[in-house]
Amino acid sequence: MSARIRATFDDAGARGWLHAVSLDHPDQTVALDPDVVVPIASVYKLPLLAAFCHLIDTQELNPREQVTLAPEDRIPGATGLSILQDPVTMSLRDLAVSMMTVSDNAAADALLNRVGVDRLAQLLQSFGLEHTRVRRGAAGNLSELRRRTGTSDVDAAFAVLADNDQTDPVGMYDAAGMSASSARDMTTLLASLWSGRLLSEEQTAFAQRLMQQQVFSQRLASGFPYDGVRVAGKTGTFGALRHEVGVVVMPGGDAYAVAVFAHAARGDYRLPRVDAAIGEAARLAVDQLR
Amino acid sequence: MLTERYLQIFVTLADEQHFGDAARVIGITQPPLSQGLRRLEAMVGAKLFERGLGRVELTPAGVALLPYARRALSAIDEFHDAAIAQDPDGPEIRLGLAPEVPASVGAAVAAACGEAVHGSRVTVTSAPTSSLVGQVSSGRLGLAVVLHPAVLDGLQAGPVTLLRSWALVPTSLHPDDGQPLPLRKLDGLPVAVRPRAEAPAARDLFLDTLGLHRPGGGTVVVTDDRAGLAMAAAGQAIVVTPDDSLQAAGVGRHRLIDDPLPVRLRLVWPQPRTPNALPPEVMAQLTEALAEP
Repeated sequence: MSARIRATFDDAGARGWLHAVSLDHPDQTVALDPDVVVPIASVYKLPLLAAFCHLIDTQELNPREQVTLAPEDRIPGATGLSILQDPVTMSLRDLAVSMMTVSDNAAADALLNRVGVDRLAQLLQSFGLEHTRVRRGAAGNLSELRRRTGTSDVDAAFAVLADNDQTDPVGMYDAAGMSASSARDMTTLLASLWSGRLLSEEQTAFAQRLMQQQVFSQRLASGFPYDGVRVAGKTGTFGALRHEVGVVVMPGGDAYAVAVFAHAARGDYRLPRVDAAIGEAARLAVDQLR
Repeated sequence: MLTERYLQIFVTLADEQHFGDAARVIGITQPPLSQGLRRLEAMVGAKLFERGLGRVELTPAGVALLPYARRALSAIDEFHDAAIAQDPDGPEIRLGLAPEVPASVGAAVAAACGEAVHGSRVTVTSAPTSSLVGQVSSGRLGLAVVLHPAVLDGLQAGPVTLLRSWALVPTSLHPDDGQPLPLRKLDGLPVAVRPRAEAPAARDLFLDTLGLHRPGGGTVVVTDDRAGLAMAAAGQAIVVTPDDSLQAAGVGRHRLIDDPLPVRLRLVWPQPRTPNALPPEVMAQLTEALAEP
């Protein structure tokens, strides 16, 4: 099976990593280099959400706390608060909604500031995630990107990554410098989130709902073109990286946690073949487990 | 007789668990791989793999023999290394060239290899990018010139070199006036392209760019530049190539305005300590040879 999945990524012009596990039969798995640590881009928002919900359960954070974010304090991004022009006041839990459903960088950065990088690291350790590191928020990633590409603004920096006529800056995609995880760590997190072991009933439902409200359907969900199959996921996109991790629920209720990471050979902003390969690889894995 | 190739087939198939993948890693096609395995099994007197649909698994006999095969192979590698050290002809540099590399560019890189390592012997093989990348990863090749973009998992790579392309256009479609042409205008005949599986990412980039600039006209798959040129001579296809030496009667040579379809090449080599790896300072010299072809 891993050879077929590998061939799917080869055909799309990408290197892929995958781990899939049946939530009802955790001994049944499909794997393609599942323990390799890969930079996870915006997938870091999922462990951040889990930590945030945990801190609500322990009453260290108040989900209704209002935060006001001025435009100059908000970091760049393609969606959400990042693209608005005026000051915004929202609750912490609504920041989480925007962070998860449309991968809002500004909302995620504000939430990471409230959770704290060190507190987050401790929580991830306690969740049993050995390979997962959230180094900095997107703000740190973007300044690192500008430094490595020798550019002064974010758009110019991404243009360097997207240019197929240039070589990627050295170390640009090294897991060591960025938020990183392994495919197996992500399915571990998803499995404990779905089992209800990780969070209270209320926070479990909240986290699952945000993933079900995921607006991007080009990746995992594209592999399951049936309204009866529900897909809850979180994507990650940065330069040539294309990821999604999530839970696929079959019409009968059987559920599978799937983590797919891909690093495309091409740097283009739009890589529909790689997005579709993520869905296809997930479909191959889930069909094997059914 | 037990040969190195049989051991290589055994070990690689155990690692890849897939006939096609194993054949690609070794750099042979599937029939000789299957035949080699059958002969080895006949020699051993036991089945080494269970063959299922698309996948293979070691039998208990295979599991028992695999460590011996690995040890034997590494002993053979040590023998090769020791032999190279004794070889009065000097070390061997194995260079791979993708078929899209123009003959003169491949020759320049090969010549630079000879100059970079005193007393070396250079051997050159041609294979598609996807095969070369596997052969460099496994250390079977010391370096290769491949198409960019390609998946280069774990390989070292030099900068991207852009080669300007020519359009070889049948004179029946456009007179041989040497004038640069807009790609958009070349929709009267299909453009010859090599098989996609040879280098999916680079080929898709070519096809996507072609589709952007030239919505009509289509493409036709050819096995190599000779076939492409022959089809152009027959008035059946347009060839896009950086190769200055390709020519035929009845085929005109034109630059494409703004050069939308350059050939992107990169030198790739294995991580240090892989068999056949060259020293970093030599690789720096060779990337320059490709940058200034």
